[in-house]
Amino acid sequence: MGVKKRRPLEGVRIADLTWLLAGAGGPRLLASLGAEVIRIEWRDRLDFLRYMPPFASKRKRVQHLSSIGGHVSAFRTKEVSEKAGAMDLTGLDAGKIQSVNRGGYFNDINAGKYGISLNMKAPQGRELFKKLVAVSDVVVEAFTAETMQKWGLGYDTLKAIKPDIIYMQQPGWGYKGPYVKYASYGPIAQAVSGLTEQSGLPAPHPPAGWGFSYMDWSGAYYCAMTILMALYSKKRTGKGQYLDCSQVEPGIGMTGTAVLDHAVNGRHYQRTGNRSPYTPAAPHGAYPCAGQGAEKGRWIAIAVTSEEEWQALVRVMGNPDWTAQERFASLAERIKHQDELDRLVSAWTQEREPFGLQERLQAAGVPAGVCQTAQDRIERDPQLKHLNWLLPLEHAEIGTWPIKDIPFHFATGQVSQGGPTDRAAPCYAEDNEYVYKELLGLSQTEMDAFQDEGVI
Amino acid sequence: MDGFLFDVKVLELADEKGEFCGKLLAGAGADVLKIEPPGGQATREIGPFYHDQVHPERSLFFWHYNFGKRGITLDIESPPGTALLKQLIAEADVLIDTQPLGTLEKLGLDWNALQALNPRLTYVVLSPFGSSGPWRDYKATDLVHLALGGQMMCCGYSPTDDGSYDTPPIAPQMWHAYHIAGNQTFIATVGALIGREMTEVGEMIELPIHQAVSVCTEIDVPHWIYGQTPCYRQTGRHAQPAVGPEVQFPTKDGRYAIILPNPFPGGYETLVGFLESKGKAGDLNAEHYKEPKNRRGRVFAEHFADIQAACVADFDMEDIWHEAQELGIPWSPIRLPEENPDDIQWQTRATFSQVEHPELGESYTYTGAPMLPNQCAWRQGPRAPLIGEHNRTVFCEQLGLSAEELADLQNKGIV
Repeated sequence: MGVKKRRPLEGVRIADLTWLLAGAGGPRLLASLGAEVIRIEWRDRLDFLRYMPPFASKRKRVQHLSSIGGHVSAFRTKEVSEKAGAMDLTGLDAGKIQSVNRGGYFNDINAGKYGISLNMKAPQGRELFKKLVAVSDVVVEAFTAETMQKWGLGYDTLKAIKPDIIYMQQPGWGYKGPYVKYASYGPIAQAVSGLTEQSGLPAPHPPAGWGFSYMDWSGAYYCAMTILMALYSKKRTGKGQYLDCSQVEPGIGMTGTAVLDHAVNGRHYQRTGNRSPYTPAAPHGAYPCAGQGAEKGRWIAIAVTSEEEWQALVRVMGNPDWTAQERFASLAERIKHQDELDRLVSAWTQEREPFGLQERLQAAGVPAGVCQTAQDRIERDPQLKHLNWLLPLEHAEIGTWPIKDIPFHFATGQVSQGGPTDRAAPCYAEDNEYVYKELLGLSQTEMDAFQDEGVI
Repeated sequence: MDGFLFDVKVLELADEKGEFCGKLLAGAGADVLKIEPPGGQATREIGPFYHDQVHPERSLFFWHYNFGKRGITLDIESPPGTALLKQLIAEADVLIDTQPLGTLEKLGLDWNALQALNPRLTYVVLSPFGSSGPWRDYKATDLVHLALGGQMMCCGYSPTDDGSYDTPPIAPQMWHAYHIAGNQTFIATVGALIGREMTEVGEMIELPIHQAVSVCTEIDVPHWIYGQTPCYRQTGRHAQPAVGPEVQFPTKDGRYAIILPNPFPGGYETLVGFLESKGKAGDLNAEHYKEPKNRRGRVFAEHFADIQAACVADFDMEDIWHEAQELGIPWSPIRLPEENPDDIQWQTRATFSQVEHPELGESYTYTGAPMLPNQCAWRQGPRAPLIGEHNRTVFCEQLGLSAEELADLQNKGIV
């Protein structure tokens, strides 16, 4: 109908003082919905992800960099770390890090955002920040708990500047409570919430935990969710609010069934490996597949939850005699004899190539899926390709790279990870011109002075 | 205090794929009405159960994931059921649908029809793989999603010395594919509700769980994109291109603790000082190790891990981590979920709440708000609905059926 597509969060501006994934991932999601997210950074303590591999290797100099803050894009990581207070680079080879703008992971986590440099430790920097607050809807930060107070930028101050401001604080363990100073990263939040203990083979195996920071992503989700709830409330009531978030509590919220099992039945959680703890199912696990070289070490997950699926599996296996044995005659019997069942199913799967097997099992109606690697998802998975899960977005210094798009598809609204900037992550200070001049009305002379004085 | 979503009405036609999202919307203050088939939703068969009694009103899974919702029963595929569903849709803000693809379409309720019925409706479709594409009809479970999504290849135990694995990839329990999808569905849904304030019209949102799960890993994807480098799973820590230092250590009481390297300047020295204060720094104070360059590489990493392990082994899991955290050392116990309600931090923040089950004459500890709101309330009850608990309220008081008409529908098995 030729109607202009609207972004759901059009007109919402977010001052983003977060970092890493648990913090910076939340505003990323809000950018995908159309919020104008302004990521605030300072060179003396940059986001670790700017130094973290992998790096875009192909050097690409972009003409317009000189006009948008070439002084900082030329800033090499080594200089940054020598300057003061930056990350302990002991474990990294600083020589390999060519620039703070080349980190691939940072590029993904900050796609769709604007980026400015601002020294919050300088009084003038904080005055500039207040100007930004006056034209923002949301301030979100993940500093240690007292930082904003210490800077004279607590909720009361922010509210005095912008009465309907939404202020979200996300120290690891929350602001209220005796653990206010404690540190949290994804693995810590996973460990304390119970999620680590719930992952892995039964004792005496130790917990396997998580091979990525699930609670960083979850921290990001709940950051976005909380801000969205508050934005909705503000739309309906006109009021802003203060939100005290932690990285651990969303993890606790995902352990509710185990908490209840203990409250009601006095039972302690026991790990079950890949076996289904509460839905009767067998076989249910990861089974080894055939493969040589790079294809060695492949596994397929099979989850049989009904008689019908079991019969289908038996047919795909070619009705071997053992399936007719009494001990596999019912789901209850199969669960009772899972060790033997797993051994027999493994003996069958390990002669077979994983993706062919997946196709045959699925065609027969058996829930099954290869334990996919990143390479599988990026290069082979036809469904993800069909869904356009990776979005090519341009970055001013490293060029165009695939960025993980958000998984929700809107029929009418314009929603994608490019956000209002329609690009990947900002270079350090890339949008100083736009923010300081256009939004805050600074002159070139004022900008130059702030730059010389180490404020921006 | 009002909830955040105090005036939002949600209809839920969902099983385990969408119940978590509905629970979060209810927690945030929305009025979530769960529509179950007569006899109850199949998720009532998922354990564990109250006193191990396998019974549709005794599923603790159902209790947890349907907390704070109201519930009715309705055979939406019967003509009178479809008509009642339409009346409900006309008054709703959000409809969450995880039914097999095409279920509503067959009832004449495709997106166009839904829009005609209620232009302000946000219609949210959660399906395993999406409504089109080569895997559209694949069957999935939590386990299968975590396999295809990449979580399993990141999680598990370290390889043996020759680089091969003698343990399978691990799918962390429990129900995380649906947590991941539910969280992202919440984001999309509330985003659409905010957009509606501007456009005055609703939205259709599709969320393929496979895609939602596939984007929820960390560095494996960038490592492949930027360097074609695979990542390898290892016990209790990030999958990485190479096996890294251990961070998870057994405690004296047979449990485990985790110590992460503090990435800030001085973080290493603080940890060594702390180990020293326990008489457990080994030879780390030797001049040789004061040079950062002598602390690189695998040999030192293993040595350092051994020293930390020896310290942790001397203490019970809950013993010294507070002292370490006070110094800024990221150290924590690896707890069981049920150990958290006793922690003073969560008691201070009211992270858990007591929920009454009047029909049982009991109250139980539930997980509560995922953060601490100050000007809005997170929902504190009621417990999950009994089967058809709100049939009378909804069908008679809201939709205007007489008691006789409701009884008639009940007799026909429609509610």
